[in-house]
Formats: sequence, C-alpha cells, structure tokens
Amino acid sequence: MIEINGLTKHYGEIKAIDSLSLSIACGEVFGLLGPNGAGKTTTIKILTTLSRPDAGTCVIDGFDVVENPREIKKRIGVVPQENNLDRELTAYENLLIYGMLYGVKDIKGKIENALRAVGLWERRDSVVSGFSGGMQRRLLISRALLTEPLVLFLDEPSIGLDPQIRRQMWDVIRRTRIDGRTVVITTHYIEEAESLCDRVGILSKGKLIALDSPHNLMATVGKYAVEFINNDGRLIQHICRSREEALEIARGRINGVTIRRSNLEDVFIKLTGERIE
Amino acid sequence: MNAFRWYPIFLREMLLFRRRLLRLGYLFSAMAVPIIYLIAFGLGLGRNVQIHNKDYLTFLIPGLVAMSSMNNSYTWIATAFNLNRLYYKTFQVFVQAPISPSAIMIGEVLAGMVKGLFASVLIIMVGFLLPSGFSITPLFVLVLLLNCFLFANLGVITGMLAKSHEDTATYSNFFIMPMAFFSGTFFPVDKIPRFIKPIIYLMPLTHTNIVIRKTALDTEGLVSFTVLVICSIAFFVYGSRLIKNYSE
Repeated sequence: MIEINGLTKHYGEIKAIDSLSLSIACGEVFGLLGPNGAGKTTTIKILTTLSRPDAGTCVIDGFDVVENPREIKKRIGVVPQENNLDRELTAYENLLIYGMLYGVKDIKGKIENALRAVGLWERRDSVVSGFSGGMQRRLLISRALLTEPLVLFLDEPSIGLDPQIRRQMWDVIRRTRIDGRTVVITTHYIEEAESLCDRVGILSKGKLIALDSPHNLMATVGKYAVEFINNDGRLIQHICRSREEALEIARGRINGVTIRRSNLEDVFIKLTGERIE
Repeated sequence: MNAFRWYPIFLREMLLFRRRLLRLGYLFSAMAVPIIYLIAFGLGLGRNVQIHNKDYLTFLIPGLVAMSSMNNSYTWIATAFNLNRLYYKTFQVFVQAPISPSAIMIGEVLAGMVKGLFASVLIIMVGFLLPSGFSITPLFVLVLLLNCFLFANLGVITGMLAKSHEDTATYSNFFIMPMAFFSGTFFPVDKIPRFIKPIIYLMPLTHTNIVIRKTALDTEGLVSFTVLVICSIAFFVYGSRLIKNYSE
C-alpha cells in the first residue's frame, strides 16, 4: 500500500529525515515510534502531501505523492498532531465542510454515522470550542474517517490526553481496522505502539534504526528487563534473554530491584543509549 | 460539480461570518473608521469645501465606500488566512483536500468580497441619509465588486506571505494605510505634487477612486478600469501559485 524509498528532508542545516525506506502492507497498522524530533511528523507531512521531500519517493496505492498529490488526497484521511478543527463551528458543520471538500455522497447519513461511531451525535450542534480535549480528538478521527479513506494517518493521536481517554481513543482506532483499512500512527507512547501496531519502525534523528513487529523487536533485545538503583543512586538497567539470567542479576541486590517484561523503550535504549521522551 | 469545489471554503467562511455578525463588535469595527472619517472630514472639515464644483460629501462618500471595501475585503482575509495557516492550522485541511489551489483561492476571495460588500453597503446606506448628491450607477457597482475582488486576492497573498500575525499588520501599515490616504479617497489625486504621482498611480485604490466617481467610462476611466482588471488577474494567479507551492 505504501512504499517509501530513500526519503530525505532537510530544514536548513537539520536533516529531519535521512534516507528513510520502508513498505507498509494493505490493512496493516504501522507505527512510527521515536522521541520528539525523530522525524515522525515530517514523514507524515510528506506522505499526506503537506510537505515536499528533498529526495526520495513515496508511493501510496500506486501514486507518487509529489507527482499525483490529488490522487493521494482522495485516498487518505489525516488526524494531525495539532487540533485543526474549526473551533467556532459546530461538530456537524466541521464534518459537513470536510465532507463537501472531498465530494462525499449521501453526506448527511455519513456524518450521522461518523458522529455516532465516536459518541458525539448528541453534541452535533455544539460549538467545538466547548468540547474537551478527548472529544475534539474523537471528532478529528470521525472527520478523517468520513471520507472512508484507504489509509488513515494519525499523528500522535493521544498526545495530551489522560490515560482513561487515551484508552478510549485506542478503542476507536482499533475499530477502524474492521474495514481492512491501512493505519499509520506516529507515537512516542510505548504502550500505544505495543497495543495497536502490527509492526513498528523506530526512528532516531531521522533514521530508521529498527523495523519489525513489537513482539519480535522485544525478543531481539531480550524478554526481561532488570532495573535497580546502584550505590551512586543511578538507575541501572539490564535486558536479559531468560528469566534465570534476570534472577541471577537481581540476586543480592536489595535496593528497589524490579524484574519486568521488556518493552519497546528497552529496544530504543539498547539501540541508541537514550530514552524516548 | 468540479466547478463548485470552492463552495465548501466559501460556506465555511460564511458560517463563521454569520456567527461573528451576531457580535456587535464586528459591526462596529466594520463601520467605525469610515463613519469617523465621514463625520470628521465630510461634516466637519469639508462643510465649506467644494471639489469639481460639487459639495465635498458627494466627492467623499464614493471614496469612503472604496476605502471601506478595500479594508474589509483585505483585512479580514489576510488576518484570518494567516491565523488559519500559522496557528489554527485549518488552512492545512484545505491543502490536504483533493481540490485545486484555485478552488481554495476562489472560495476565500468570494468570502472576502462578501465582507467587503457588507461594509460598503453600510456606508452607502449612511451616505444616502446625508444631504449630498451621492448616487449609485451600474459602473459604481461593477467597480465596487472589482475592488473587493482585487483586495480579497491581495488579502490571500498577504496571509500566505506573512511569517507571523504581527507581519500582517506590517503589510497593512506599508501598503493599505498609505493607499487609504493618498489614493484619492479624501482629495483628488490631481492635487498631489507631480513627483509623488507615479507612486500614487501604482496604487490600485487610486484607479478604483477614479472610476467609481464616473457615471460612464471615458478614456481615463477605461485605463484605470483596465489596470484594476490586470491587477486582479495577476493577484489571483499569484495567490493560487503560492497555495500550489505551499510546503511545510
């Protein structure tokens, strides 16, 4: 569905994306994971025609994003990181304008379905500025799905939301899979990537440093993580391949020893020596 | 259907416009400046002034209509476009939609024209209430529409070029403000010193003020009308190009 080859983008002297290449299959939920400034949003902006690459190609459903932006736009839905709803318009008006821009047929029925799907039908005539952050995020998702896109791009979909609302958001995203839609998510939340994505690409300083399913990525570094505070008061972390190895490292240490399953952040730390923040 | 892809952009602006109209401040801000000028210059300073053998109010009111249509077509679009692009990011929704840059341009410009015409109608109504020889001709209406179109296009261009909200005020201070005072709104441009005239005739509002006071197109009017048409087309093409080449 999506083919990215040698994608490069600079902002002045800074290389935001450095020769990124990857493929995303039809119906896959793919996550781009990395800290702030890793190049996730820039990648999404290029794939959604908002930004032009300096080099490389991106093809979605057979169309190049630079050569055929209009064809790309017909096939995608975008939930941006920054809320770009019209705050002075109602929920219904926001979807109406958006649907008309895309030439959606039977627009009234589809708006009703889209708003019902995210639990906002009863608030359809309320002005968006009165909505909570979680409601605005849900409205953004319903707006993106109104056009029944082949590919849905979600840029940090749950940023700034409290944990309970974040989980509601994940349920909404999971439901979008039912139609076999391809979903691309950028996130710096480890749990979000592990919970939602079939495969994850880990970005660091614009480069793709790992690409596989969350399970396989975690298996490559080791299944268990041992954390403890050393004599200097620093947090020390060891990734272990077996439970026995983890227990061996923990033995004899009494200061706050934790043994847990490894996660994608451990993969990131192992590959870069830094935390995802 | 493709010919109407601009309509959602226009509809959005009109829905927002309708909401803002309900706030009294919007009406006052559209009317305040020209009404102040009308009272200060027309009823105060201009009481004993005659221009081209007509009373000053007859000269001033068409100029104030032109100035008001310029201000409102330009300012609301330039400000809103810039804010929507840099802060609210709603402009990005249009750019990511499968519509042409010219459709975005048409929708925004038509909305700007409505705002400019709305303010102009208010001034025209006040103009008819005052004791003057002010009247409306078909040419007046045509030039008013053309003026709104031209400055709404310029509003989009400013909204696209300005790098911050403060920048839009700078553009306004350098281009719109001098035009309001030196383009024949308050006094005929033939009274202006010869060495400034080339600059004055570069200002589109000068040509609007020349044609809007004529009852029929003479040679001078035809030249000015042609300048307005050429500027409008050039601004429309340039604005569409800026939208087409938009990249973050």
